[in-house]
Amino acid sequence: MRRIVWLLALLPVLLALVFAAGCGGDDDDGGDAGGTDTGATDDGEASGEPIRIGASLPLTGDFSEPGEAARRGYEVWVEMTNEAGGLLGRPVELIVKDDQSDQNLVVTDYNALINQDQVDLLLGTFSSLLNLPASAVAEQAGMVYVEPAGGSPEMFSRGFEYLFFAQQAVSIHQADLFSEWVVNLPEGEKPATAAYVAADDPFGGPVAEGVQNQLEAGGVETVYSEIYPPETVNFDAIASAIAAEQPDVIAQGSAGLQDGVNLIRALQRVGYSPQQMFQASTPSFADQYSDAIGIENTEGIFFAVSYHVDAETPGNTEFLEEYRAAYDEDPAEDAADAFAAAEVLQAAVEAVGEIDQDAIRDWLRENEVETILGPLSWDETGAPEQAYLLAQWQGGDEQIILPEDVATSDTIVNPKPPWSGR
Amino acid sequence: MTELIQVIILGLLIGGVYALLASGLTLIFGVMDVINVAQGALIILAAFVTWALWDATGLDPLAGLLVTTPMMFVIGYGLYMGTIRWIQGKPPSTSVLLTFGLALVAEGVMGLVWSANLHSATPSYFNQSFRLGDFYFPKAQVFGCAIAVGVLVFLYIVLTRTWLGRAIRAVSANMSSARLVGVNPRDVAALTFAIGVATTGAGGSIAAVLYPFLPGSHYAWISRLLGIIVLGGMGSLPGAVVGALMLGVAETMTATYISPRWATMVPWAVIMIVLLARPQGLLGAKLREDVAV
Repeated sequence: MRRIVWLLALLPVLLALVFAAGCGGDDDDGGDAGGTDTGATDDGEASGEPIRIGASLPLTGDFSEPGEAARRGYEVWVEMTNEAGGLLGRPVELIVKDDQSDQNLVVTDYNALINQDQVDLLLGTFSSLLNLPASAVAEQAGMVYVEPAGGSPEMFSRGFEYLFFAQQAVSIHQADLFSEWVVNLPEGEKPATAAYVAADDPFGGPVAEGVQNQLEAGGVETVYSEIYPPETVNFDAIASAIAAEQPDVIAQGSAGLQDGVNLIRALQRVGYSPQQMFQASTPSFADQYSDAIGIENTEGIFFAVSYHVDAETPGNTEFLEEYRAAYDEDPAEDAADAFAAAEVLQAAVEAVGEIDQDAIRDWLRENEVETILGPLSWDETGAPEQAYLLAQWQGGDEQIILPEDVATSDTIVNPKPPWSGR
Repeated sequence: MTELIQVIILGLLIGGVYALLASGLTLIFGVMDVINVAQGALIILAAFVTWALWDATGLDPLAGLLVTTPMMFVIGYGLYMGTIRWIQGKPPSTSVLLTFGLALVAEGVMGLVWSANLHSATPSYFNQSFRLGDFYFPKAQVFGCAIAVGVLVFLYIVLTRTWLGRAIRAVSANMSSARLVGVNPRDVAALTFAIGVATTGAGGSIAAVLYPFLPGSHYAWISRLLGIIVLGGMGSLPGAVVGALMLGVAETMTATYISPRWATMVPWAVIMIVLLARPQGLLGAKLREDVAV
């Protein structure tokens, strides 16, 4: 009897605590974000009612690193915009909530931004995982949703009208420039056979699939095509099977760093080096990549990126200056992607001349925006129509080689030199 | 045919490495009824120390095992005296919980000290292979197998030719009788655990070269090791060796002839099938729980 009385007494106390934490949590996040408000500071031109832009980002949790990078990208854009006279002549105020990398919280956050904070415009969060539910909230509210990082094909198969992805391509088109380049090589240089290895992963996997589709259409024969679980470490069997087929090209849709590195090491052990090698994102891991496979072995490996610090894209120099001044280091790809998302929103708002979600949506549907990632335009599902920058490791450095107008190197290493004995 | 032989070679080589890593785990379980789920994390810890030595001084990872093995012995002894001994005699599920907790703590500490970036020791042989005719033998795996043989021979000698070994076998057979003949079970248990953990010193030095690793890499290892000791018979060292080789070959053949997608499922499928069909494993002894002492 006593125990029941205790429990009953505790229950309201617990409920009160949960309630306080729930409300307090949101308020705290709002409060923190309030601290990052940037009204008109340095200039006298931006005046009037601030334009309030709301976003939720994974500042804590699994995606905290890229989430923080994205926040910086947004902040830098706000700074630069306000210094230049604001948006439509009005100062920009950014409200950032922390969704803690949680799919439920991100929905709560965007609902709060729309209904309680009543923001004028929205910007997206990081990762397809979080953008999937968040974009649904925006769609229901009829608000344009430009997101910096969420390229899984699932995002664009829901018939949404207000969704726009601010990178160059969805994953299946990430390697288009590579495929194009291969298919257009002159006879004698053009490869005859190819092997494809894809991680069972929504980003990495489709990259290899895209290359395979385009290379097959371009007359390159597929001699090996397999999918592996992304946590695979032991690639000896796969490498051995690939080596037996002697393909000219190997394209790997890697999920991250480990699987890409382990495939290369397995290929080294079996002693097989292809003429051309492409990996999805692994080669963009800089030192971790070159340390793990040996820096001489990076020579000639192709990969695709959305952003490069030296790319001669419009506004990149100014962005870099502002970012380096604020944070004393170079921006990560995710920070640049976030900045580009804000640029997209800005271009549409300024072209339309007012905050009209439908007009902004229609304008983006029909126009191209110049960003630090290059030009961006979208199809009717919100998927972008460009291709990622094609990069290659040359002389121990990552270089952009295509498209030519933003390239940082005018040579392409072809064929790939054999693995060195270290 | 060439491909089949090469696949089997690769499978046996990686199986040899698995045998090295599983030897300590099997010894601990066989003697103490403790399922040391932290064995994987300890292997990664040894790998980190091996890497740190290699990075700072250029000491070859294989030579590094001369440093890490005694170090892990001390850590194993300390872990036993500090935590495991309090749950001796409790059901194995308790040891799973405790050692899992230890594994998580170890993972956290490693993350703090070395960060969660990928690390790999890359001495000259890390990506090279021996060649014999049409076949290739990756060097790191070959060295791993050589060390495995050394460790297993050493363990065999200790278990059969030394007083400690006889004491260990006595305790695992019948603890109260062992006490009667002058064996202190707690000391023996501590030493057994320490020896079992010491093998991770050697295992870690090979693991450091084989694949790049980070603090969370221990899950992949422990899943395989558990599969191996279940297959071979928990507590049987020869069983662990046979189980390890079989698992290595099974994984490699699945990846080649079925699909890489199914290869990571193999350890789990093995555990399920063995527990359903022959719970004592290949070489394990059938025990009756009701007459346990």
